[in-house]
Amino acid sequence: MKLNLFEDKNNTNEHVDLYFSNMRPQIKQIIDIVQSERISLSGRPADDDLDDGEEILIDPKEVYYLDYVDRKLFMYTGTGVYRIMKTLAECEELLWNYGFVRVSKSNLINIFRIKQLKPDLNMKVYAYFDNGERICVNRSYKKEFDQYLQKMRRMV
Amino acid sequence: MKKYFKNLALMIFVSYTVVSVSSAVINIILGGQTNNLNELMMFVICIIASVVLSLHGLFDSVSPLAMMVIQYLLACVLIAVMLFIVSCIDTITIQGWLDLYRSFTIPYVILAGVYYYSVFADTKKKDSIIKDLQKRAG
Repeated sequence: MKLNLFEDKNNTNEHVDLYFSNMRPQIKQIIDIVQSERISLSGRPADDDLDDGEEILIDPKEVYYLDYVDRKLFMYTGTGVYRIMKTLAECEELLWNYGFVRVSKSNLINIFRIKQLKPDLNMKVYAYFDNGERICVNRSYKKEFDQYLQKMRRMV
Repeated sequence: MKKYFKNLALMIFVSYTVVSVSSAVINIILGGQTNNLNELMMFVICIIASVVLSLHGLFDSVSPLAMMVIQYLLACVLIAVMLFIVSCIDTITIQGWLDLYRSFTIPYVILAGVYYYSVFADTKKKDSIIKDLQKRAG
């Protein structure tokens, strides 16, 4: 995408004009930034020893997947595991444009962080991540997963 | 629930039509013959197969391979019940039992193989879509 920047010290009406061919996730992300609604997930380290009581802001791009365990939601990144105070459904809606798709009752995965999608010998399909972990793509969510990939394919 | 029974009925009718027409064609070519009881048994087997396969939603927590084995065993039990009932009306020899199980097992194994292959092929396709998306998103 071509980027033109114009600096004018006297400008009192700062604005951004955006020309696009179709409204795809990348464009929506730019709109979020301009409107100061850039999504960042805030969470506290899941490990109590590392938790100093402060919330850490994490870019959705850094997140591999979200896991809902024992009524708690955790996000897994390359640097650690964080607990977030949102529901999985909220995150699913919030992170749709960022490549996150529901693959089971308790998991939301970031397709841009998948290293490989591979079936096991028992025919269960797993998404493998850079950190060596894997998440099962449940058969019940196969249709939604397929539709999501097709939509993203048309939009990205 | 209504949708489930609608789909189930459709599956039964389609499978029975395919099996019945295939059987008629084979009989014409090989000069074989069938009777009313065989036709009814064919229909009941189609019902059993359709009902057992439609229960796949109950096995979401287990692997597809385990699901196929469980479904096969369940179908075998139901077929045994059917044969037991039929044996009260007509005589069925041991060879008859074996023939029926063979006739049921061969297509089941072939279709399971096709499904197995389709899972691998479909996953490979999706993996390449993901790689393509990652490349395009930079």
